[in-house]
Amino acid sequence: MRIAWALALRDLRGGLRGLRLLVACLFLGVTALAAVGSLSSSITAELNTRGREILGGDVELRVAQRQASAGERAAFDRLGTVSESLRMRAMTSRTDGGASLLAELKSVDARWPLYGRLTLAPGARSDRPRGFDATIAPALADALSLRIGDHFRVGQAELRVIGLITDEPDRVGEGFTFGPTILVSPQALAATGLVQPGSLFTARYRVRLADAADTTKLADELDRRFRTGGWEISDRTNAARGLRRFIDRLGEFLTLVGLSALIVAGIGVANGVGSWLDQRRPSIATLKILGASSGTVFRTYLIQVGLIAAGTIIAGLAAGAATPALVAMVAADALPLPLRLSLYPQPLLTSAAYGVLASLLFSLIPLARARTVSPATIFRMRVEPFRRPSWPTLVVMAMAGLAVAALAIGTASQPLLSAGVLAGAVLLLLVLAGSGALVRRIARALPRPRRPLLRLAIANLHRPGSQTIGLVVALGLGLTMFVILAVLQTSLATQIERTVPATAPNFFALDIPTTDIERFRAAVHAESRAAKIAVVPSLRGTVVAVRGVRVTDMKPVPEGAWILNGDRGITYAAHLPQGSEIVAGRWWPADYAGPPLVSIEEQGARALGLKPGDTLTISVLGVEMETRIASIRRVNWETMGFNFGIVFAPGTLEGAPHSYMATISLPDAPESRVSRALVKAFPSVSLIRVKDIVGQLATIFDQMALAIRAAASVALASGVAVLIGAIAASRRARLYDAVLLKMLGATRGQILAAQAIEYALLAAVIAILAFAAGVAVGWYIVIHIFEFRWTPDWATILATLGVGIVATLGIGLLGSLALLNARPARALRQL
Amino acid sequence: MTSPLIDAAGVALTLGRGSARVDILKGIDLSVSPGETVALLGPSGSGKSSLMAILSGLERADAGRVAIDGLDFTNLDEDGLAAARRGRIGIILQAFHLLPTMTALENVAIPLELAGVADAFDRAGAELAAVGLGHRPSHYPQQLSGGEQQRVAIARATAPRPALIFADEPTGNLDAATGASIMDLLFDRQCETGATLFIITHDAALASRCGRIVEMRDGVIHSDQRAG
Repeated sequence: MRIAWALALRDLRGGLRGLRLLVACLFLGVTALAAVGSLSSSITAELNTRGREILGGDVELRVAQRQASAGERAAFDRLGTVSESLRMRAMTSRTDGGASLLAELKSVDARWPLYGRLTLAPGARSDRPRGFDATIAPALADALSLRIGDHFRVGQAELRVIGLITDEPDRVGEGFTFGPTILVSPQALAATGLVQPGSLFTARYRVRLADAADTTKLADELDRRFRTGGWEISDRTNAARGLRRFIDRLGEFLTLVGLSALIVAGIGVANGVGSWLDQRRPSIATLKILGASSGTVFRTYLIQVGLIAAGTIIAGLAAGAATPALVAMVAADALPLPLRLSLYPQPLLTSAAYGVLASLLFSLIPLARARTVSPATIFRMRVEPFRRPSWPTLVVMAMAGLAVAALAIGTASQPLLSAGVLAGAVLLLLVLAGSGALVRRIARALPRPRRPLLRLAIANLHRPGSQTIGLVVALGLGLTMFVILAVLQTSLATQIERTVPATAPNFFALDIPTTDIERFRAAVHAESRAAKIAVVPSLRGTVVAVRGVRVTDMKPVPEGAWILNGDRGITYAAHLPQGSEIVAGRWWPADYAGPPLVSIEEQGARALGLKPGDTLTISVLGVEMETRIASIRRVNWETMGFNFGIVFAPGTLEGAPHSYMATISLPDAPESRVSRALVKAFPSVSLIRVKDIVGQLATIFDQMALAIRAAASVALASGVAVLIGAIAASRRARLYDAVLLKMLGATRGQILAAQAIEYALLAAVIAILAFAAGVAVGWYIVIHIFEFRWTPDWATILATLGVGIVATLGIGLLGSLALLNARPARALRQL
Repeated sequence: MTSPLIDAAGVALTLGRGSARVDILKGIDLSVSPGETVALLGPSGSGKSSLMAILSGLERADAGRVAIDGLDFTNLDEDGLAAARRGRIGIILQAFHLLPTMTALENVAIPLELAGVADAFDRAGAELAAVGLGHRPSHYPQQLSGGEQQRVAIARATAPRPALIFADEPTGNLDAATGASIMDLLFDRQCETGATLFIITHDAALASRCGRIVEMRDGVIHSDQRAG
């Protein structure tokens, strides 16, 4: 081993020249993984560190549509200091009847915030809202042109702006919201008249514990105790659960994209190490002549690859670890909360492990081949026939491959998805490699064209040492990822564009009091005769037991059982809602008046294995009801109407205090006129413009697509590195061709044309493969995973593919330009 | 009678298959005693380099038997052949084949290091001095002239004191004057170490300095003459 180390260190004096491709590809792959891991860690760390501030307390208890009873409040007070806040959607408008906007109205008591601090922009008249004063988010001030001291209207109250919010400490913990915040006192909230029996608001009770107890244990205890009342409990260790889950999932998905990029990079590693060892053949043969065993040769070059890979991995980890700081500098506004900049060892260790395993996996074959270089190579250059790597090599490679898979699947929260994506990537690799081999075979079998340039171009695709397979795989995989993304993005965008105008209503109206329903209809029709209004009762309910088993005892909650996630919107109906179809059981008669029956949405039912006849215990406004499932429904969510997961039969909820929701379609009147009239006549009703929701969804999707595209770019960049490496590796052969052609009278233009033909042929093959594979995978994801309609925009997809192909192969051609300037006489002497 | 250092019988080598098949060596019998100097002459393609590759264990014969210094090469695998070469066989090539990333001293030391010699660098230094390059141990091959590179190659071949030195066209890449001085050096080193010298050459004058001249044509030994 000592001699191998000595030889390796001496050989490394030759520099990294031959191993640039290994360095470039491994650096890209490891950087991508380390960057994704560090980014999601710095968000999660911020959530963890500021857990109390984000949650607003050590423990939070929240309930929908009601406040705590005196008994419940007394129980909370015994835990420590309690702060109450209520949050609801509310329409707000200028006092002069001008612009109106949907906002998030939040009342806070004098103890709020228990942790953190409310920060207001300079110029505020007070540090917190009191009486009929309000502090508002700047977006609301902009939309309604409000300044400090101005008045505005919410419900029946007229409030005064006393400050603009720059930081609302528990904002992230309260989840997705529709509009800008208005912070008011409980007195002001009461004056709005919006809190009525049945109106949709959330009451939160944050507790600052008297002693630093185990909050998770306490939250579990509280959960058992208060679950029956429809309470949901969080503690400081799991604040912003939704955001945390989203970050985790996105992080995992991006890691998988990064892993696919690392596989492309791996091809670069294999090609880089292979061509580097090819350059070293005379040295390897010389070492063998001097008595070095094949083991010594193998170890000598393994040490070198190992040292360079280690250096590259460390550099990649450093770049990845620095990425959050870079993102914080350039894109802080796009993030849900500030990043906690620090060094996170766990994602770096995982990325380093991936880097080491990929280096081992992809450099073993060329290293094993170097082991078998015959010393007789010194006497005659001959192309060594490809030998199957030895069993020990194959075993080590298989173990490295399995370790990569185990690491990816073992660290995932959705192992099945990770395994599926990995299996898909490997399958895609095999298909691309098979296609590359087929291209070589076809090129070899083609009749030789009479035109020499075309003949040369085709010969370059199959001549010994040609890297057609590696290029098809590397560029093919990168471009396939881009096609998949284009398919997904355009399918979703087209779907939103096509569906929204056709079937979506113009407005959702929430919190219509039961007594005002007819007046509301009349008001809409007064503005728009042809308006269509669909009205449904609306309540909130929490599933507390399934077939008699308490949800609190179900650990873990089954994946996809979304109907168990906190309180959900529920309704009751005599007739099957539009856009739903029964897949099991039967819909109840319109005049049903028996024991409570419910109809459940198909996917939620499937996740819990529910079937007609099973029981569900549902808590509505603190009252538990045992219901029996009458039917399972398939819901077409695309209609953008009101679709409820749980629908009650008539006869159970009518007596409970509740409000109505409505969808309003306006074929013959401008949205602004109708909205102005409704806001004025019904100050307690919230109006949501559908276009705004679609806009928000599109923005979120665009941001996610940007992140995914950034990770996929690493795959394409690795592909380009492989291409450049392939050109460099075949430089000698290409230079020889170019020089001979020149000697025989070919112009530089003709030589360039031959190269262009070769790359165009390769481009065509890769484009067809990437298109076919990308569309097939994209179709599967759109139809079977997202369950959307198949509506890709072919022009955008083809343009994406075209730009990718032209850019990558343009680089190839640029790389060939240097060959054109070679002087024949000098080059022939050197070759 | 001493046992032969090189003992080859019925050595055959074929390259390629089917229509591309070429019979390079067609049953060579050769015996060389310790201390002999042998010149292997013959036109290009006659099989000289292939015979040397087989005799030095760089290539394996398709048929026949080779024993060097009493060790049968026939059934040795590649690593066995590499081990067999260590300390037993030194090889000098026309294109020098020094390792470009190593200094002159390190190049000479490699075979000693591979053989596990403790004072490899001291001995390499002495060997380098013996070929007249004691003042340039830290130079890399590309900093040396062709003649100097071949001197390093000679030092490298003789450093482990092998019983047998093969030299394949050792002056082929050098001008006449430099070539002559290299050959003087090679014969001097052979005299000093007492090794058997086996030279492949086109040069009749050089061949005449050897005690024995073997001529090959078309894969067979055409003549085998001893001087005097």
